[in-house]
Amino acid sequence: MPYPGIRCALLTAAMATGLAAAPARAEDGVIRIGISLRMIVENGLKYGQMAKDELEAVNAEGGINGKKIEVILLDDECKPDKGIANVNRFIHQNKVHLVMGSVCSSVSMPQVDITTKEEVPQIVSSSTNADITKKGSAWVFRTSVSERFYASVHAKYLSENVGKKVAYLYTTDTAGIGFAKDYMAFMRRTYKVEPLYEAQMQESDLDFRAHLLKIKSLNPEVLAIGGQLDAIARIVQQSYEVGIPKKVRRVSASAASNAPVPELAGDAVVGLAFAAAFSCKDERPVAQAFVKMVQEKYKVRCPDHDFSQTYETAQLIKLALKNAKLELTDASLKADRAAIRDALANIRDYHGLAAGPINFCADPTPQCRDGNRTGILVEYTKGGKDYDMRVLARVGFDPDFGL
Amino acid sequence: MLLEIKNLTKRFGGLTAVSKVDLSVRQGEVRGIIGPNGSGKSTLFNLISGVYRPDPGASIAFDGKDITNLEAHEIARRGVARTFQLLRIFSGMSVIENLLIGHHGHIRYGAASAVVGSRRAWAEERRVRQEMMELLSFIGLADYADMPAGEMSGGQQRLLALGRAMAARPKLLLLDEPAAGLSPINVDVLLDTVLALKNRFGLTVIIIEHILKVVMETCEAVSVLDHGEKIAEGSPAQIRDDRLVIEAYLGKEMKDEEVRAFLRSA
Amino acid sequence: MTADIVKNTEQRAGGGASPSRRGSVHPIVPWIVAWACLLPLPFLLTNAYTQYVVNVICINVILAVGLNIVKGFAGQVTVGHMALAAIGAYSSAVLSTKLGLPFWGAMPAAMLVTGLAGAIVGVPSFRLEGAYLALATLGLAEAVRIIISGTDWLGASLGYAGIPPPYLAGIALDDYRSYYYLAMPLALLGLYFAFSILSSDIGRALKALREDPLAAAASGVNVRKYKVTAFVLSALYAGCAGSLQAHMAPGFIHPNSYTITEMITLLLMVVFGGIGHIWGGVIGAIAVTLIDDLTRDYLQYRMVMFGAVIVLTVMFMPSGIGGLIDDVLVRRRFKAIRRRRAGVASVVAADDV
Repeated sequence: MPYPGIRCALLTAAMATGLAAAPARAEDGVIRIGISLRMIVENGLKYGQMAKDELEAVNAEGGINGKKIEVILLDDECKPDKGIANVNRFIHQNKVHLVMGSVCSSVSMPQVDITTKEEVPQIVSSSTNADITKKGSAWVFRTSVSERFYASVHAKYLSENVGKKVAYLYTTDTAGIGFAKDYMAFMRRTYKVEPLYEAQMQESDLDFRAHLLKIKSLNPEVLAIGGQLDAIARIVQQSYEVGIPKKVRRVSASAASNAPVPELAGDAVVGLAFAAAFSCKDERPVAQAFVKMVQEKYKVRCPDHDFSQTYETAQLIKLALKNAKLELTDASLKADRAAIRDALANIRDYHGLAAGPINFCADPTPQCRDGNRTGILVEYTKGGKDYDMRVLARVGFDPDFGL
Repeated sequence: MLLEIKNLTKRFGGLTAVSKVDLSVRQGEVRGIIGPNGSGKSTLFNLISGVYRPDPGASIAFDGKDITNLEAHEIARRGVARTFQLLRIFSGMSVIENLLIGHHGHIRYGAASAVVGSRRAWAEERRVRQEMMELLSFIGLADYADMPAGEMSGGQQRLLALGRAMAARPKLLLLDEPAAGLSPINVDVLLDTVLALKNRFGLTVIIIEHILKVVMETCEAVSVLDHGEKIAEGSPAQIRDDRLVIEAYLGKEMKDEEVRAFLRSA
Repeated sequence: MTADIVKNTEQRAGGGASPSRRGSVHPIVPWIVAWACLLPLPFLLTNAYTQYVVNVICINVILAVGLNIVKGFAGQVTVGHMALAAIGAYSSAVLSTKLGLPFWGAMPAAMLVTGLAGAIVGVPSFRLEGAYLALATLGLAEAVRIIISGTDWLGASLGYAGIPPPYLAGIALDDYRSYYYLAMPLALLGLYFAFSILSSDIGRALKALREDPLAAAASGVNVRKYKVTAFVLSALYAGCAGSLQAHMAPGFIHPNSYTITEMITLLLMVVFGGIGHIWGGVIGAIAVTLIDDLTRDYLQYRMVMFGAVIVLTVMFMPSGIGGLIDDVLVRRRFKAIRRRRAGVASVVAADDV
């Protein structure tokens, strides 16, 4: 029968007490920023490294208002428990003034709960879930384009510029259904327009021509294609085979931005449009300078929107820090955090990599905290191995849109 | 009859390991079972102890009750204990734990008592542990009670396997080649222990053995298996003169003189 | 002192029950002492993050001890333990948010649900063992995770948010310091129960079926019953741990926290501490949680470091810290027996055996 002995109990006590060490570091006069990102994916480490480099670059020039920046960078592996641990460590152990992150919405969500409770400003760099800014937190900001805008970029542009007669053909996976349903919902809500034609196919289907022939006979203005890579490529190709004319705008889910689509579809891909937050083909000088910097420093040929939004977030942080009055002592930690929050909330009409201006304000509402309300529509200009694309349009939204 | 086996058959695919064996063992008897390699002796034990299910048509009655299709642990709980040819002691457990597992069926406290570590469970553990220590003293392993069983020597492990079977307080003890691999002196020690245990607890014992000396000196009756069939049965003296037995052992027909010479040497 | 602790530890873990040593003190007394010793811990810790880590350790101790019951003691190779924790976490979450049960109702109910699931996970063990059983349990585990990821009312791949904190005497345990006073006693209680069970007849039967199911059956052990017992017991621990994960601030759970990666980390705890040693599970849970935490700063090199720990453990101490302690003890005891046989220092030896 159990009789573990008092010494055993003491052993446990001793081991646990051994953990008590680890004193919290809080050097005066330094701005501490905790960054939690998903870094286990391709380029993941580079996002984190770039954010750290961008922020710590000010130290070489004597810091911001004479104050150095220290970045603590942790991987959250897109796992909420890790993301929660990171934020707890940032706030309680590192005593950071600001949290940046994360990529996965499922990680950012519980992080916001913690930063809100502990009253630490958090700037979300890459998550798109609309609920993140709907929690009513006064401490959260977002630089990435919320899905409430993002999901309607193509719908808004095409209905205003091409037409409202839309035929939907999509496969029954999450991406395919999501794309088509969002588009239809937008058309019903905004214009009370029903789909011209709607058909669901299996992801494994190879022949979509029967549906495409029917679609052709209905003379649509837009052909909306939802699905994964292979399905998108096949539907685009077959839409030309059955003779749907070129003037019918083909539009697809963001999955179309991936290389296999133009490679599989060949020239049929020309004119296929999809929504994005950033394109490395953006011709604005600010964008091209950024692309060149990433190419040289991080050896990535075509930086994606995670790169651009991470970079943008770092710039916004620097801007806010410049405008914030910081004491940076142990005693002022709470006040400094609030000051940084207020400085972020004061950012108006910031023009950077984002397709449109970024605006924050003080209210703890999505209208104020989803600062980036502009997406872009990209279209392919060339198919095959050396495919090319261009920015077709920039699509901005009202702060209230989608609420 | 303590054990009454009728028409016991076991086929593995095309191979008939045991074929239509009848066997009756009296209360208090020491029965030997001999036979050449592959004659079905161990299969017979596995059938009695429930490791294998017999083919349909067989019946095994123990202590007046049918146990033909019971599971191994149920048969064990009714008072049939056994050892294994390859010992199968629990080498990662301590010596006394091996015995306590043997005693498993007699430990009386509920799961709830065990979980909360009640005084009742505690007292019962103390009692059975003491009991097992006595048994360990009897087989001469008391000093090693808390040592891992796997660290014991071969001879000690044989004693331990015997002890574990005895810990079940069985009515019937099945010993599968208990003396295999032992030096002649140790064989004597083991046999003395078996007989002492039998007399002390009023056991019935069935011994499978290759060493004929063991069977001839210890058993009151001997059954002989060959190719899964029982070919002879009787007192050791009768078996000694049974020509079929010798043929089975040597696998060929022999002249009378050769048979005599063989048996004398045994 | 250390050696004495070790010896004492070993006697418990090895199950060599010697209840008579300290007469009339109830076995729970030392645990109450341990509880008392651990009470001031959060106030010694410098910040809420270390308090958080200690809570995670407490939860991992419960997970590791539970896994050790089925894997270390009963010898059943399962990789379904984290999936059971997920079932515990989600049951507790659903019961407290959708049915409004308080934590004290939701946790036991979640344990019950998990226990049932454990019995189901245990069924393949009747016919399969070793790698085949591992594969079967892996299949069940992945199924659980995928079902959660695809079920909208469980939050799907966005996670389940808004799980309320437990209340103790009207006080919300919504920060890491107060939560410790829930997690620590539960971990101790779990350890106490584990020691009780495993040094009882049930524990011996579990070990016997790990060592040799055939011989165990021949000794009267109902192998199936004890296999299921082992799975259910370990599932109860997983359910308790899962529930603790769910209700700890910020009350958020996600299927990504219950993948094969987490399962491997958990296995490492048990292997590092010593398979079949309960204290090993505790040491492993503490050590691995801390290694996991301290290597976080090293980003891409983290997995290399973690891998190195696994490889070195398997190569140089395959039976873990508990195994090392075992070896020392066995040698000591043999020496003691020899000494006694030689008639020397008999008093010391008697104490030793």
